[in-house]
Amino acid sequence: MKKRSFTPYFFIGPHLILFIVFILVPTIYGIYASFTKWNLLGDPVWVGFENYKTILFDSTSTFNAQFMNGMKNTLIFVGLSVPILIVIPLMVAVALEHKKVKMKGLMQSILYIPGLISISAAALIWLLIFNKQLGITGNVFGSQIPWPANQPYAWIIIIVITVWGGVGGNMIIYRASINGVAKDLYEAAEMDGAGSIRKFTSITLPSIRFPLIYTFVMTTGGAFNVFGQPLMMTKGGPQQSTHVLMMYIRQLAFGHGESIAGMASAMAVLLGLVILVISAMQYYVMNRNAS
Amino acid sequence: MKRKTISLILLTAIFSALLSACGSGSDKNTIVFWTPLTGDDGAYMDQIVKEYNATNPEFKVKHVITSDMYTKISTVINSGKGVPDLAIIHADRVPGFVKQGVLEPLTGVLSAQPELKQDNYLPQAWSTGTISGTQYTVPLDIHSNVMYYNKDLLKKYNAESFLDDNIVTIDEMLSLQGKLDEGDYVVNDALLGWVILAQVQNLGGDIQQDGKPAVNTEVMKKAFESVKKIADAGLMTPFGEDGYLMFQGGHVLFSTDGTWSSTAHAKVEGLNFGVTNIYSPTPDKFTNRASSHLFAMLTNEKRTDEKEQGIGAFLEFIRQNSMEWAKAGQIVASKQVIESPEYKNYIQSFFTSDEKEIESLYIYTYEHYPYIAEAVDTYCADIVRGNVDLDETLATMQKFVEDKIAENNKAAGQ
Amino acid sequence: MLKKINLSKYLAYLFLIVLCLIWIIPVLFGITTSFRTEAEVVSSGFRLLPESWNFENYKAILENTSTAPILRWLFNSLFIAITHTFLVVVVISLTGYGYTRINFKGRDTLFFTLLGISFFPGVVNLIPSYKIIDALGWVNTAWAMIIPGLAGMGNIFLVRQFLKGIPTELDESARVDGASDFRIYYSVILPLIKPVLIVCGLFSFIGSWNDFLWPVIVYTDVDKMPVTAGLLLLQDIYGNYRMIGQLVGSAILAIIPTLVLFLFAQKHFLQSINLNSGLKG
Repeated sequence: MKKRSFTPYFFIGPHLILFIVFILVPTIYGIYASFTKWNLLGDPVWVGFENYKTILFDSTSTFNAQFMNGMKNTLIFVGLSVPILIVIPLMVAVALEHKKVKMKGLMQSILYIPGLISISAAALIWLLIFNKQLGITGNVFGSQIPWPANQPYAWIIIIVITVWGGVGGNMIIYRASINGVAKDLYEAAEMDGAGSIRKFTSITLPSIRFPLIYTFVMTTGGAFNVFGQPLMMTKGGPQQSTHVLMMYIRQLAFGHGESIAGMASAMAVLLGLVILVISAMQYYVMNRNAS
Repeated sequence: MKRKTISLILLTAIFSALLSACGSGSDKNTIVFWTPLTGDDGAYMDQIVKEYNATNPEFKVKHVITSDMYTKISTVINSGKGVPDLAIIHADRVPGFVKQGVLEPLTGVLSAQPELKQDNYLPQAWSTGTISGTQYTVPLDIHSNVMYYNKDLLKKYNAESFLDDNIVTIDEMLSLQGKLDEGDYVVNDALLGWVILAQVQNLGGDIQQDGKPAVNTEVMKKAFESVKKIADAGLMTPFGEDGYLMFQGGHVLFSTDGTWSSTAHAKVEGLNFGVTNIYSPTPDKFTNRASSHLFAMLTNEKRTDEKEQGIGAFLEFIRQNSMEWAKAGQIVASKQVIESPEYKNYIQSFFTSDEKEIESLYIYTYEHYPYIAEAVDTYCADIVRGNVDLDETLATMQKFVEDKIAENNKAAGQ
Repeated sequence: MLKKINLSKYLAYLFLIVLCLIWIIPVLFGITTSFRTEAEVVSSGFRLLPESWNFENYKAILENTSTAPILRWLFNSLFIAITHTFLVVVVISLTGYGYTRINFKGRDTLFFTLLGISFFPGVVNLIPSYKIIDALGWVNTAWAMIIPGLAGMGNIFLVRQFLKGIPTELDESARVDGASDFRIYYSVILPLIKPVLIVCGLFSFIGSWNDFLWPVIVYTDVDKMPVTAGLLLLQDIYGNYRMIGQLVGSAILAIIPTLVLFLFAQKHFLQSINLNSGLKG
């Protein structure tokens, strides 16, 4: 009995220490900073809930406008990108699982490669492709509209580059999970005359439910933190309609003028709370349905 | 087999980590010099530093390029360790840094190097570093918003006369309305925010009044309206298209980008270009909104007086030997360099060819300029393209700047 | 029956091939762009292949060795990524086991608390993180790159989810035979979760390889930098526009190692599962 009480520490202890040092302490400091005015160079000045009051309730304030617009755009991005980032990889994984399909490795690699390319190079390539004069939208599809500066195209190109670079990760998780599903289950189902869809809903999905929860929660969390794609593709335009919250936060903290890090931290904490609530809901709903 | 591999990896890991742990630690006879000069600029600066170190100075310079220097500066200032001895910062950072106590005056350095003085530099580059009579920086260059023109297109549309008085006016540009082939444009929208800020000067205005930000003003409104005329006439490259690439592709007469772009334009085969001033609403005045790379010392108590002398010697060397920097396309700040015949080979020598040109290089020194520039950059494209209401947006911009300034004052405990 | 299978096969093929084509075109376009001259990049019209193959971009990248010791950077990145990945696999498998197979009070509460905390976006956290690294004396060393990432919760969450899907009968029977927790972890669980560990290892390797913000902060020596951060030094401060071909070319060089690793890993995370598929169900 005594020996067992030490066991948990052996398994989770090392990580717990790392977590406290490299995540917990900096996060607590970030939360502390959200209750201060701070320019990153001097000492933070405590102001209590002032930043939060301004962001949430002072409708005349620039920061309130930025937060609301940024949060709205972030939610749009999450709503558009997450379902695609779940469904396409899942379909790919299922299609690749088909016994008769050949060259699986090749196709899997092709779908994964974009995820390896740095966001700045990827954005350059896609901006050339979406360029009216130089790319395909004008020359191949005959579109007369510059896509990055017009809605809904601005969102479309942001989602396209996100999905292009992002399906690989979830695809691999699904591939690894589905591969673990015992083949005899499928064979038995086939004997019973089950079709592809039946097999998918009654064998594949339940078997990979736990990894599925993981991809839902983590993909959503990642999508809330988006800023590279809109920054590079549209610079937040047109009329700040793709200006996501993380872009505002980073501009406040690391922009050209004197840093407004306290306000940035408060926005980041609020964003963190939203992520927390949504992922908790996702986990709760999916976990209940799974078990 | 597997265990062997694992232990081999572990061993290598430990060994290499040990290796990398030793051997570091900066020499006290080295000047650690940070710059944000990525790309080719960094290579030119490397070359200058190499030449300086080859003179066997008492304090050798170690050039460290960082791609995110200002964030890095805030981390080292916070931890108080690893602060560089010398850094290159941008002009718009100076007032804020001085107010926050991040810069050390160069008084000691200047008194030991009599040639490091205003008379030997482009005046505005020098005075950018003068705050309340104290000198905080020594300039390396001025980098400015300029206007490139496509010689072949000017000829084609018979517009070479625009260049006669070195001022291309908005009216001259408008005279081309209806005369261009489909797909050709008079001007692009590169660095549009800087162009707007130049017009504010051309129209005799400013961005501040008695230390308060002045964005929502008649002058600013006029500045936007005059540029908007070009867009309204369909002469500006379409919204959302890459006007810079379109200029390089030979479809645009004028490109309002930066001094530094000349090297890139030169690499485009078949692009026959020259450079002139940014267009103006009036034939009487022209302005090229500029910034400057400045040498500065970040606050660090551990920097010895001897090292400061070494820094002085390095800056004096730069003053005399920064021809290399002209290769980066920038307007070198040292008069000795720009007055030498060799400098005439560089296209940007146009901007130091006479007093009026030198005067046209305008550096905003208002303390809160960065916020104003941010506001202008955020909203200018939508205003010029007529996507938003001008008056309303100017009010939003004014509020944007004021709200941010208010935050600073609170952070400073005022 | 036979027809039905064929139909689903063709559907699967159609879907995959269309998707792969869409996915590969930008990659090919990027590769060919790195072989174009600047004049061609900016000339009108869309061409998948360059007019003439131009190697100047790659020459320029590889020749600029004074400010950009690319081979040295590649070596640094390899060292950092390999060490980091190895340690990640050790940490997440131990921790994942701890959070699923060992019963202790408040286990799930602790796990979800940590996971929740890790969801807070770090922005100004950069400053305290740097101070911690500084206090540990890790500034300008590889440790600053290798260790902090081990604290992440993402991979542990994934391992935990995988382990939850694996029935406990096997470890129960091992426990009845008198095996210790470590024994069960090492001989029963580790082989079972090998695929997910390979996946996590792959993610960690790529994540560590592609990290560019943190190395800029913790390194001051150009020679010690990893390649992704180093390549940032080649880009221009005024935007990336000066040399599109060169920039894309350097990005393509930078993905070769991770691509090789992926091709290598891909065999393993699929193959290994077949070994134990019979254990399930």
